[in-house]
Amino acid sequence: MPYLVSFHMGWLIGSVLLGFCMGWISVVQRGNGTSKVTAYWLAALAVALVAASLAHVVPGRFGYWLDLGLIMFACYLVGCTIGAWLRYWVVSRSQPAA
Amino acid sequence: MQKLFRWASKWWPGLIPLAVMWGFAAWNNTLPVEADLSARSSAALKDTVLDKTRIAVDGRDVSLAAEAFSEEGRRDAVTTVELVPGVRLVDDRTRLVPEAKPFVWNAERDVVRVTLSGSAPLPSMKARLTEVARKEVGGVEVADQMGLARGAPARFEAAATLLLDQIGKLKDGKITITDTQVNLSGMARDLGGREAIAAALKNLPEGFSIAANEIKAPPYIFQAYKDPVAATVTLTGYVPDNNVHAAIATSASRKFFTEKVVDNLKASIGAPSSFNTAVVAALGALSRLSTGTLVVSDREVKLSGDALYEGAANDIRAGLGKDFPKNWQYKPEITVKPAAGPVDGSVCQQLFTELLNKGKIRFATRRADIDPDSAGILDHLIETALRCPTTNIEVAGHTDADGEDSFNQALSEKRAQAVIDYLVKAGLPASRFTAIGYGATQPVAGNDTDDGKAQNRRIEFLVR
Repeated sequence: MPYLVSFHMGWLIGSVLLGFCMGWISVVQRGNGTSKVTAYWLAALAVALVAASLAHVVPGRFGYWLDLGLIMFACYLVGCTIGAWLRYWVVSRSQPAA
Repeated sequence: MQKLFRWASKWWPGLIPLAVMWGFAAWNNTLPVEADLSARSSAALKDTVLDKTRIAVDGRDVSLAAEAFSEEGRRDAVTTVELVPGVRLVDDRTRLVPEAKPFVWNAERDVVRVTLSGSAPLPSMKARLTEVARKEVGGVEVADQMGLARGAPARFEAAATLLLDQIGKLKDGKITITDTQVNLSGMARDLGGREAIAAALKNLPEGFSIAANEIKAPPYIFQAYKDPVAATVTLTGYVPDNNVHAAIATSASRKFFTEKVVDNLKASIGAPSSFNTAVVAALGALSRLSTGTLVVSDREVKLSGDALYEGAANDIRAGLGKDFPKNWQYKPEITVKPAAGPVDGSVCQQLFTELLNKGKIRFATRRADIDPDSAGILDHLIETALRCPTTNIEVAGHTDADGEDSFNQALSEKRAQAVIDYLVKAGLPASRFTAIGYGATQPVAGNDTDDGKAQNRRIEFLVR
């Protein structure tokens, strides 16, 4: 893991930034998101992929790509969370003043 | 938390550019990651002893193929690669180096190179043995054809190193270790080399033994070359010790009365028995040739060259064998020098005088027995006498002034007659010669010094 992180630092920072933007937007975006069922399925898919990665069942390059994808996805989620919280904090601070 | 889920449900559009980024990242980094992990794995294995190591990286999975020299070494190698940061899985394709039974190692020397073959237990030892061989033989090429195998006996390296130290003493040959048995064959480079190797083998490490030592000593060679143009006799090769050396040098200077003796002999052990007797006899035969080569190789004597006349050739061919000790072989290749043209009496006299000025006919002390060392000068005198067949020759004997006059008179007559007998035996007609003894009555030098006396003891040839 530390090796993957240090070797792909640039790409992971990119993922975090992408996530940050997406999180930033998501707080004020109107319209519906994914349905609950879809969300469950996506979560289950993510869990399955993480399990596959931890169990080392995917061989060779595909295994490496899976790990890389998951770690980028994790960074994306972290970025989203930070972005969303920050945006929420900014929005909730400016509202009383308005 | 509720809010977080609500926001999260709107995060999915970002997954599309994320997937694109992922694709690019995978595209860009797969080969660098593989190269990096391959380099890290190789670096990690640098200190492990393995043979035929091959590292292939697929993604982050390393396939390690290698031959290890022990089970422990094999496990260690795999663990080492597993611990390399970034490596996900190790495909263990290592195996143990095959075991050699019996464990055979060879060192072979020929004219141009030293070849090391068979098995060595470790790559480092292989390199060390090659280095030892290289040091031992100097500039000679060392070919390393050793394979690697397990199963070497204990203290193998010490034994192999000791044996390699001997390879410099061999001209050609082969040294083999089969398990703990050592076989040696070949030819030592120098006299004494065989003995030196045998002595060194006593220090073989414990457990090793000599199955066969068939190292031969090089032939013990003595050579003499008589060159009439340069007027030299060159002695080369070996003599057993300084005493024999001195004896041979003295004998040579007496036998070769017209030639300068160039002495290039070296003392060395390993001479066959009766070497001195045989060489002195052979040098006597060489002194009778006008040009010739003598080669004494172990117990074989080869003499080739030109005798001065037919009788001498026959005598040398037939006679010399008798002078040699038993077990010696004598191989004469004697031809006869073309007879020189006839000359008249005055030239003959001049030639006789020149010859007798250069050398002397020697006799046993106070006796009329001709010293065998004088065979050379007598042959030259006979050859000269043959060139003026119509002349009569007076052979005059002289003594120094020591002893009674009557004894000296009789001795001088007997010595002159002994010379004539020798000439007649060689085929000259007796009627051409007259023996005269002058005792001490015609000295050519003072009789008060040893040198003067030696000059006065002489035989003269006078053409009448």
